Amino acid sequence: MVSRKVSRRRFVASTAAASTALVAAPFVRGAYAAGKLSLGLWDHWVPGANKATEDVIKAWADKEKVEVTLDFITSQGNKLLLTTAAEAQAKSGHDILAFSTWLPARYSEQLVSMNDVVEPLIKQNGAVNGTVEYLGKVGGKWLAVPATVGSQMKGPCSRIDLMKQLAGIDVQAMYPAGSPPKADAWTLDAFLKAAEACQKGGHAFGIGLGTTSDSVDTAGAIFHSFGAVLVDAKGDITVKNDKVRQALEYYKKLIAFLPEDAPAWDDASNNKWLVSGKGALIMNPPSAWAVAKRDAPKVAEQCWTHGFPSGPAGRFGPFLPFFWGTWSFSKNQSAAKSLLTAMSQPEAAEKMVIASGGYDLPSFEKLTTFKTWAEESPPKGTLYHYPNPHNHQTLSIAAAPAPHKIAEQIYTQGIQTQMAVRFAKGETMDKTLDWAAKEIEGFMRN
Amino acid sequence: MANATIASPTATTISGRRYGSVSRDRRWALRWSYFFLVLFAIFFLTPPVYMFITSLKTSAEISAESNPWWVYSPTLANYIELLTQNTYLTFFRNSAIVAVLTVIITMAISVIAAFALARMKFWGSATLATGVFLTYLVPETLLFIPLFKMFAWFNETFDIQLMNHWWTLIILYPTLTVPFCTWIMIGYFASIPKELDEAALIDGATWIQTLTKIFIPVALPGIIAATIFCFTVAWAQFLYPLAFTTSTTELVLPVGIVTTLIKGDVFNWGQIMTGALLGAAPPLIIYAFLMDYYIAGLTAGATKG
Amino acid sequence: MADIAARGPVAIAGGRSSLHKLMQRKSTIAFLMALPLILLILTLVAYPAGYAVYLAMLNKGMTKFVGFGNFDFLFGRETFWMVVYQSCLFAITAVIFKAIIGFVVAHFVHNIPSKGQRKWRGMLLVPWVIPPAMSTLAWLWLFDPSYSAFNWILAGFGIDRIPWTGETGWARFSVILVNVWIGAPFFMIMYLAALKSVPEQLYEAASIDGATWWQRIWYVTLPMMRNIIAITALFSLIVTFANFDIVRVLTKGDPLNTTHVFATWAFRVGIESGDIPLGASVSLFMVPILAVAATFILRDITKRGSEV
Repeated sequence: MVSRKVSRRRFVASTAAASTALVAAPFVRGAYAAGKLSLGLWDHWVPGANKATEDVIKAWADKEKVEVTLDFITSQGNKLLLTTAAEAQAKSGHDILAFSTWLPARYSEQLVSMNDVVEPLIKQNGAVNGTVEYLGKVGGKWLAVPATVGSQMKGPCSRIDLMKQLAGIDVQAMYPAGSPPKADAWTLDAFLKAAEACQKGGHAFGIGLGTTSDSVDTAGAIFHSFGAVLVDAKGDITVKNDKVRQALEYYKKLIAFLPEDAPAWDDASNNKWLVSGKGALIMNPPSAWAVAKRDAPKVAEQCWTHGFPSGPAGRFGPFLPFFWGTWSFSKNQSAAKSLLTAMSQPEAAEKMVIASGGYDLPSFEKLTTFKTWAEESPPKGTLYHYPNPHNHQTLSIAAAPAPHKIAEQIYTQGIQTQMAVRFAKGETMDKTLDWAAKEIEGFMRN
Repeated sequence: MANATIASPTATTISGRRYGSVSRDRRWALRWSYFFLVLFAIFFLTPPVYMFITSLKTSAEISAESNPWWVYSPTLANYIELLTQNTYLTFFRNSAIVAVLTVIITMAISVIAAFALARMKFWGSATLATGVFLTYLVPETLLFIPLFKMFAWFNETFDIQLMNHWWTLIILYPTLTVPFCTWIMIGYFASIPKELDEAALIDGATWIQTLTKIFIPVALPGIIAATIFCFTVAWAQFLYPLAFTTSTTELVLPVGIVTTLIKGDVFNWGQIMTGALLGAAPPLIIYAFLMDYYIAGLTAGATKG
Repeated sequence: MADIAARGPVAIAGGRSSLHKLMQRKSTIAFLMALPLILLILTLVAYPAGYAVYLAMLNKGMTKFVGFGNFDFLFGRETFWMVVYQSCLFAITAVIFKAIIGFVVAHFVHNIPSKGQRKWRGMLLVPWVIPPAMSTLAWLWLFDPSYSAFNWILAGFGIDRIPWTGETGWARFSVILVNVWIGAPFFMIMYLAALKSVPEQLYEAASIDGATWWQRIWYVTLPMMRNIIAITALFSLIVTFANFDIVRVLTKGDPLNTTHVFATWAFRVGIESGDIPLGASVSLFMVPILAVAATFILRDITKRGSEV
């Protein structure tokens, strides 16, 4: 064991690019019992973004004299999900682990309560949005700390030029950088018209209809915009109601203007659609724009990230938070909590946001107006509206407000997108609703 | 059967010579053969060729709307970047150690067991032989969660952590390779004439001597075939390393490439293709050198099983 | 093991009179020699498999024993039957095509002068040697909705872009195509070896009898290769049935779950949606199907084997 650690340290010393780093103090005499802490964090796709987190953690580790091991784990191929499942089943693993959207609730019984961390943070940094609270707090217990790193919005990212030429919409005027949106006309109907115009002009909107999260998030927001709820908060199935029917009718019209292979798109497909210059709009956090900035600068210059169109029930934007949590079998919970508090300080959050080029979104209200978002370019201000600075839209997650264990399955199995595709492909409304009701019935298992 | 297969290279040479000198009929057949072989080669080689093309491109060119089958500004940057990156070299090293040790362990277990099952017959040996085959039917997707639980118990009882270590794979991979290798070896040993070992035993050789002095040399093609099979499986395995290892220092090649070069919704295509090509090189080299044994060994073992 | 080896000669030294004793010892030695295999299978396959069976009989929260409740539940699901259908379609179609392509290619390779055979064999074996997780990524990139290099070629011929993974029919075609691509070379190699072991005299006799090339294949080659065809198909069927990577990487089961096979759907249900017992039940379901197939094919082989 000892020799392994030495070789590891040497390995780290020899490479600056190594994503596993041992941020260690040679003498362990900290205030914390074991003096050791291991973290499994989400591997950021932005080159160098892990570094900011590493720095924050290293500063804390030096101060507290704790030996910290860091693993950055990709979410690709469900690696992070598998790691989480493995640690939950094997009852051993990282002291702090990044939990994606639904996982805190899934493992609620195995996670340490974070009330003593999150409640002071809310006092300090402002309230969290409803989605974060729904996902992170169950039965009055905060299961995990809302993370800055990896939390994201999936609103529209439009091509300024194409939207103007083909659809006659000036997204910059609608969502001016540095000031509140003037987007009253930006409704689902306007969105549909724009989708049609762009498709006819050869630049269809790139909205996936698969079962991965980008597709599901968009469907979730559109369903919310119609007030369409599949399962209510009490756990009753409410599939067969007019709002769901309206949402499906709308989706059917929209699907006619989407690329025909959209039902199999994954989370990378829409990015490529935008970067290749084929699409006029996608629903994605700014990663697609950032890749375009690197590989297709001409496309990037025309990208504008903005708010979601509004529907009869309001304006909803998909928000996908990450959390940092600690297993109940972790041997060093007090140190973990101290570190999590340090990682959630405004300065730490700002460092992370800057390093991620504005991609990461802190969940706390007072942390949505960092300079980065206003300054990122090209074009300048393209990310200004990304963190929803004017509370213009309700941040939402698909399948809410159903009880978590049901909602999670509706989400991961993409029931909403599947309903939309089924109906759009010519299945009758009743059949689609029956199918969905039956699927969801299957999720009620305990 | 085994004899026929081993002797086959000679047989082909003879027949090959004869084919070459016969009528126009044959010459047309030959032309058609080449024609179709070229077609199939195109089908089989398109993806690797495309991988190679992509590996020579910059990310800007990959994103561009240009001819995907042509490299306008070739670059070795992807290769240089991967080969100078310690993480990638670590994956390569882990993969190599895991594959080699898996091969050694597998061959030790399966050759000895196959000999016992094929030649020595003990109570329940027939059942065991069938049982070995049946384990091949159990998919690994079924096993990894129970294995998590077992590892948890192991950790609590012996305080040895099996999760997130590359050497855990050396314990796990034999479950995938041993059944098939044992099965192949049983078949191969069964094809060796009984007189051979009876004579040896009468001459006073022990069972172990019979195995090492007679069976192993005679069954060498089969052993090489099983070794290659085993190496291929260990090199390509995906699900177990994905489920059991996490840290970049512990990952093996295929999982390492997929988890470090694809981040969130951003694919690093140039490097992925480069990594995949470099990762395919070791098995390719092994096949290039040992293919004849592989063919001879596999068929002899499988037909007799 | 050294211990046994050391004791061996002593037994022999006893001479023929102690042959009986030797036989007794033989079974003990044999058992010890098979012991590592037995231990490996018991601890790392049989026990976890048994545990998985137990898991499959728990409720979702893994707190209550429900017996066959999960299976009962599955049988009532439309998606489950679709997965059964698609798994069978996927595995059977893929194995048939692998067998046909493997046979045809092996035949052509066998036809050409032996000098060139090594080269062709080597080239044609490439797909099988690249780790599937990697080569499937190459296919994913070839099928990409925005950047498909295939569609680029088709566009050159004025053909519309094909939704390779986007439409049920095409998506099923694509996953099978990739599986065939990966697996066909293995069939080719096995068949090639079998072809070489068919005695030349048989063909000569057939030619003298005036058999056409088709009759030669049908009456000479195929019967001689029967065993190897069956055994290769069996192993391939097992592996194809349990396939995870290809579908997972290419389509993730989309569109509308129509490309899910057992392993990927089990993953979706068990790991992604957090219903581990149900996932275990789905995975478990492929074992009996495979066992039935294995019994038939193996029995057929032994029967044929004793006839020949």
